[in-house]
This record gives sequence, C-alpha cells and structure tokens, in this order.
Amino acid sequence: MRLDSITDAIGDTPLVRVDPAVHGLRHIDLYAKLEMLNPFGSVKDRAAWNMVRPGLKAAAEGRHTVVELSSGNTAKALSLLAGMHGVSFKTVTNRIRIPEMRDLLLLLGAEVEELPGQTECLDPSSTDDPLTLFHQELSGSDSPYVYTDQYYNARNTEAHLTGTGPEIVADLGGRAPDHFIACVGTAGSSTGVARVLRAHDPAVHVLGLVAHKADFIPGIRTIDEVQGVGLFDPATYDTIATVTADDAIEGMVTLARRCGMPAGPTGGAAYSGAVRHLRALDAELTERRTAVFIVCDRIEGYLSYVRRRRPDLLGRPVHRNSVATLTDAEVAAATGIDVAAAERWIAEDRPLVVDLRSPFSYAALHIAGSVNIVDELCAELIEGGLPFSKSRPVLLACPVGEQSARYAALLTRMGHPDVRSLSGGIIAWRDAGAPLVRE
Amino acid sequence: MGVPLYLEPRLAPRAASLLASGRFLHALADGLGSPLNVLLPDQLADNLARFRAVYRTHRLTGRIFFAHKANRSSALVRRLAATDAGIDVASLGELQHALGAGFTPDRIVATGPKTPEFLWLAARTGVVVHVDGRAELEQLAALVRRYGLPRADVLLRLSEFTSEGSRVLTRPSRFGTPVAELDALLTTVERCADAVRPAGVGYHLDTTSLAEKAVALEGCVRAMDAFRARGLDPRAVDIGGGFGVSYLADGEQWERYTTELTQAVMGRRPALTWRRHGYGLSHEAGTLRGTLALYPAHRPVAAEKYLDALLSHAAPTLGRPLATLLLEGLYELHIEPGRALADQCGLTLARVVEVRDTASGERLVRLAAGADDVALEEHGVLMDPVLVPRDGRQAAPDAGGPVDAGGPVGVHLAGNLCLEADMITRRTVFLPSPPREGDLLAFVNTAGYCMDFRAGEAQRQPVARKVAVWRDGDAAEGPEGSGAGPWRWCLDEEYWPVVQQHRTRQHGGGEDADEA
Repeated sequence: MRLDSITDAIGDTPLVRVDPAVHGLRHIDLYAKLEMLNPFGSVKDRAAWNMVRPGLKAAAEGRHTVVELSSGNTAKALSLLAGMHGVSFKTVTNRIRIPEMRDLLLLLGAEVEELPGQTECLDPSSTDDPLTLFHQELSGSDSPYVYTDQYYNARNTEAHLTGTGPEIVADLGGRAPDHFIACVGTAGSSTGVARVLRAHDPAVHVLGLVAHKADFIPGIRTIDEVQGVGLFDPATYDTIATVTADDAIEGMVTLARRCGMPAGPTGGAAYSGAVRHLRALDAELTERRTAVFIVCDRIEGYLSYVRRRRPDLLGRPVHRNSVATLTDAEVAAATGIDVAAAERWIAEDRPLVVDLRSPFSYAALHIAGSVNIVDELCAELIEGGLPFSKSRPVLLACPVGEQSARYAALLTRMGHPDVRSLSGGIIAWRDAGAPLVRE
Repeated sequence: MGVPLYLEPRLAPRAASLLASGRFLHALADGLGSPLNVLLPDQLADNLARFRAVYRTHRLTGRIFFAHKANRSSALVRRLAATDAGIDVASLGELQHALGAGFTPDRIVATGPKTPEFLWLAARTGVVVHVDGRAELEQLAALVRRYGLPRADVLLRLSEFTSEGSRVLTRPSRFGTPVAELDALLTTVERCADAVRPAGVGYHLDTTSLAEKAVALEGCVRAMDAFRARGLDPRAVDIGGGFGVSYLADGEQWERYTTELTQAVMGRRPALTWRRHGYGLSHEAGTLRGTLALYPAHRPVAAEKYLDALLSHAAPTLGRPLATLLLEGLYELHIEPGRALADQCGLTLARVVEVRDTASGERLVRLAAGADDVALEEHGVLMDPVLVPRDGRQAAPDAGGPVDAGGPVGVHLAGNLCLEADMITRRTVFLPSPPREGDLLAFVNTAGYCMDFRAGEAQRQPVARKVAVWRDGDAAEGPEGSGAGPWRWCLDEEYWPVVQQHRTRQHGGGEDADEA
C-alpha cells in the first residue's frame, strides 16, 4: 500500500470476528470494528479529518488556530492534522483525567488549557461560567480560531455516514448486522453508523452505552452528560444501557489477553456491554445473528487509569532489598541518634551524611557536608546491593526520622556495620538550633 | 407523583439523635419562636479531631483555623477556644469576638479586607495578619511604627499561580499578590523588616479542583524558597479552606435526582421545580444548554478526606506528594476550613404555618421562616428538610415506605415574606409524609454559611434565635455522640465550655427529653 498522505490511511479498518470460545454466545457472531487501527490510533481520526479539512487552508493563510473541546483522541488527531498543515492547535478541556494524554498532546505540539474546577462557594447568579466565556470568545466576528465543535458539527456524524457505516455493511457481504453496539461520546460514530445500518435494514437493533454516573470511563459520557451533546438524539438508540469502569477494564483485559486486540477502555466497555446485552438474547435464539461493536482506541495510553483502579493487574513482585520487606521489629531496632549526639559524631567520626529528601528541599537547606540521595533513588540503588562502603559510618536524615529509620534498618540487615538514623529528622535538627546551610 | 425523589440529609449520630427528640425541639421552638437555630458545639471538636488525624498521618504540624465567617455563633467559637484549634477572623467584630471567647493572639489569623481599626487591634494584640498585597503590608508597617506596636507576623497571600506544560486555568480572584510580582513583594517585606516579620505564604482558591490547588500549593513552596534565598525564614504555608462538605446521605439519590432534573428541563418528564426553574440548565432545540449551578451535594471525598487527597496529590512539577514537599521543606501547614469544620454542627427549625393546594394543584407549605433564614438554596445546596411532627406521630425518614396515612408527598416550601420570590427552595421537595400546621421542618447542616450569613429583619420578621444544645457526658474525648443523657440547652450567648459542665451538675433532671 503506497500513499501520498497519512490522511489517506484513515478509514477502511478491519472487521474482526471475536472467538466464540471467549464470549460464549452460541448463536451470535460478534465482530469488532477495529477503529484503533486508524493511523492516529482511534475512531476520532475520521471525524477530526472530516471536520477540520474544509477550514485548514484558510487557517494556514490567516494564521488561525484550530480549537476544540477535547481531552482525548479528538485532540490527538487534530494536533497531528494541524501540525501536518502548519497550523497551530489548542484544546480547552475540563481536567484531563488521563495524565499520559496531557503529556502526549504537549509532545504533539498542542496547546492545552484546562478549565477551572467547580467553585466551592457557589454563586448561583454568576455569569462567568468558563465554558460560556469560551464560546463568547470564539463567536466574536474577528475570532482567530477555527472551531471544529465536535459535539455539534454534522461533519462528525458524516464521517461515519460515509465511512464507518458503509464499511461494516460491505464487510458483512452487503448486509447490516442484527445488533450494533457503540459507546456514546460525541454520539458521532453511533449516530452515523446507525443511520447507514437502518437504511439497509430498519430492524437493526442499536445499543448505546453510557457511563455509570459515579464512574469515569475515558471517551464515554454519562446519561446526563449526553443531554448536552448536540449530535445526541435518544431516538438513535433502541436501548441505552450503563457500563461501569470495572466493566470497561474487564472487557479491555479480555480483548487484550484472549483476543489479541489491545483495545482501550472504551472498546472494553463496548465489548462488556455487548456481551451482557447479547447473552440474554442468545439463550432464546435458534438461528444465527450477527453483532458489531466498535473498538475506539488502543490500550497503551491508559496505564495510569488501570493502575489507579486495578493495581492488581499490574502487580509486580517485591524486591528482597526493599523497605517494604522490613518488619516492625527490624525498624524499631534501627539505631537512632539524637541531634546533640549526631553533631558530636559528625565532628569526631565524620560519618557520611545522607539526606533522603528531594533535591528541591535539599537545595533550600541542608546539613553542611551531606550528600543528597532522594529516597526513590536510594531504594533503586539498594535493590542492587549496598551502595556505601562498610568502612565508613553512615548517618541517614529525612524530615522527621521515619524514612531514615527504615533505610537504616534495611542497610543494617544488608550487613552495614554502622548506620544510624537522625532521630526527629531535619525538623528536630532545625528546632534544636543546629546549623543548616544553603549553598 | 411517581417515585418520590428524596434527597435525604447525611446525619451524624449527634444530629440524628437530636432529631429523634421531637418534644424537646418543639418545646424549644414554642418558647423561642420560629425560625430557630440549634447548634451542637461538641460536634465541632470531633470534626477538628478528624482534620488533626490527617495531619498526623502525613507527619505534618501547623494550625487548623476555623473560618469564623461561616457562623456568628458564640457557642461554636467558645467551644473551639477550648481545643487546640485557631480561628480565622475577617472583621474587627470577629477579632473582638475571638479574643473575648478565649483565643490567645497566637491562635488567631486576621484575613480579608481590613479597616485601619481592624489592623490596629490585630497588630496591638499580636495576631498573625494574612496580608493581601504590598499596599496592605506598607499600611500595616506604617501603623506598627506610628503607634509603637510590636513587630507583626504576616502571612502573604499569593495568587495567579502558573503551571508548566498544560495551562491550568483558574478563576481570577480579587485577593492576593500575583506570584509574578513576588520579587517586588519580597523587597517590600525587606524594607518593612523593622515592623513586620514574614511567617509564611498562603493562598485561597475558590475551586473544588485538586489539580488547581496542587499548582497553588507547589507555587507556595517555591515562593518560600525565594524567601530563604533572601535570608528570611518563613515557617508556614497557609492553604486556606474549601475542603467541602457532603450534605447527602445517599449518592444514588443525588444521581437519580440530577438525572431527573435534566430530563425535566428537557421536557421529558413533569417539572421538578417551581415555575420550571432549571438551576442553570436550559433547553434549546432538543439540546441541553448551560451548567448545573448546584453545589455537588453528595461528595465522596470532602472535608478531612479532601485534605488527605490534596496532601497525597503529586506536586505538578516537583513530583513528590505535596505533604512530602511540605515536610521536606520543614514547613508547617495552616488550613482555614469553615464549612467543613461546621459540618453537622447545627440545624435550623421552621414552623409550618399553612398547608394548602394551589389552583394548579401544587401543595404549598408556608413556613414561619424566610429564604434568608435557611440559606441552603442560596448556596446551591439541595437537601430535604426532616419533618418533626407536632403530635409525635412517626415521620419515618427511613426508606420503609409510607407510614402516615398521607404517604409520600411533593410540596413547595414558601417563606414568610410578602414577596413572590421568597421560596425556601424552588425545588419540589418530597417528604415521606405530609406536613401539617404546627409541625416543624428541620433543615439540617446549616451551621456552615447557611444559618446567619444573610439573615436580616426584612418586614420586621424576627431574626432566628440561636441556642446551643448538648447532652450529659458528651465530650469530644469519648466516642462521637456517646452521651446518653437528656438534651440540655442554653441561649447561644450564654454558652461557655465550663457552664456546660456546671449546669449539668446543678440540675438533677434534664430538659424535656423523650427518646423512645
């Protein structure tokens, strides 16, 4: 395949059958529409390209900035598209809740503005709602912005009306599936695809999945949030059901570990929601049916999301030389030394003084002659073995003497003959009037 | 009516037990009138202990200042004076009140816009002054020099913190010095060194967002470093308040309610509000517009848990948890919670004076109290009142279903002013049984900003009296609400932590208490 532009690689994604041994449905063939294989990595590539294309030339000439409200894949696709065409891109978002995405957008050259949180002292008569101000700024007559407006822009839906929908029908031999399952974000893909499928077969059943209200699933809106989406029309869906973050992660793990599909949580949610819905129908079926769900994007960008919600999925063995392996008795047995004694010891025996605080705090004030090994780095060094010679005594210091006691215990267990912990830490040192320097 | 959309209040054991004492509450309201504010000073000490426990977890030291402006009560301030807490005063009157309640100056911080008299009394007594900017700093220094006052400890309020990477936007504030002007501020501090001593820096952000506060807190730590670079030795970072309160017992109810409200605004279900008010939401060509202008009444992470989350949050550029950053910098942490410390510390009673149905079929319940007496709505807090029946018939606030002949009912609560807009809330309030004339409605958890912040004497209607209530044997040292004795009360201005003990010993029996 030889292409003149990466944008030519958008669309024509494969429809892949999910192994029945995984989903357990006996009468339904379940297909995944792998939108994650678009060049920028998600279903949003189609909408982003279709929305921004008409305005790009004028934007480049007028040095306008493309702007969108997105904290995820739309912003990612628009960053890349804008960059290709020499146009700058800015995204304005509520909190980006996926930290990797923030860094990625910055890496791709986007400008990221995060809106303030909800006010704590609410003034119901306030008119300075940040989003309202944003819209006012954009609608000014000499606005320097090209606003793609994904939640209202008909070209979002159109991308799927002309692309995603017809592709599914073609791959199923000119037939619409009996069931179509999609998560509702901007509602662009579900609306566009549903319209195409219904045109082929009015009997197709469309299941829209929304996030549980108390939950957060990237790329999916809650039942209240979808009401504010211009493209959302409840009539598009025969059924609207709720999925949770747990469903999303479970589905994601199944697709990744058993189906060879490294899908993100939105795809995982679609899979879980699809199987739950279809399982109830499957029991009563006698003839074969087909169902299609959309895999929006890839798994790699969601490690912190998984780490926060399901740390067990990322479990790593504990290292032997780690403070986590210490018993309370070992920590209690660590040698402590109070400030006055420590001052004398430093003067007489010149122990190596190791300050375990962060470089920023060390730089501000520290004990003269000490070296700074921040605790995280110290832990890493110790995993490999003793980082200090046994021939020289060591005095460990941290803010209150707690961390230093743990490291003293660990180093003692590893065979160091004379490690002591500064009791009460640097705070006690300061409070006793002992000297701290800033160099 | 459909399924009643309750928004049941979260009740700490003390408030729950008080609400179960219907005859006691009716006796109070009969004697002292409606509306009536009832305060639970011992709860304040419990809330304080929970904040202090978070400090201990993170090995941090520093002061917890109660934001006095949340409530004018003497009982709360005097009860607090008997603990290790500090108090944040925002006016001359509040400063006098705090000094008179027993707070020593080292436990007081003066904040907000200040008059010369307020500044003078603060400097004269040695109270820490939270300074807004260079002008105020110079004004304070001039005052100290002119009247030969002791050197004043100052906290410098900073604002407009900047973030790296993505730009975290924050609502502009009228208060504080932009960090971009820190150098000029430091030069002023040095020039005034004979009259003021920098105790630290602070911020107060009006936001629920942890990310925004993390940017500000790290900004403060960096500012402290700028002080040290100039040879100054500030000790404290003051992160203000805004820790929030969770008002509702049940998150599901809150979620169901907001969904139904959205549906009602969209016209997909019958109205849930007086005259189709949308609480900030509106409906335009099939799409929802606007933002829900309501306090997030159910918050899984609020008060001391919010502080814990903030302290555990990573510093945006330095990476370490914010608590570690403070600890490693050898700094103390000051906080100024108002609403969160006053959580569950008081309720407002209002008498039902009329129940009637309007021509359009709405049930209107008129109360002997106005919207300014129960300012929950003013603060965007949607929460059901608790029905305290006159005759002791069971009100059954639990989910057991209808017990009264009437069963659940949706009502509108009107105030006592001759004014169309005087509605206690614009929301249809669902109650488990119909209120009758003479019943009391108890609006719980009003002690933080919703009790006396705006109450006035419009139309010569009475301002609510305040009483403090407590039970024998209830003290902050014991398990929460452990007192098993009868309820006691006194007028708010008569309350002193010692009087409480004294009276309990003097009188044999309790006030009229009627626990089942």
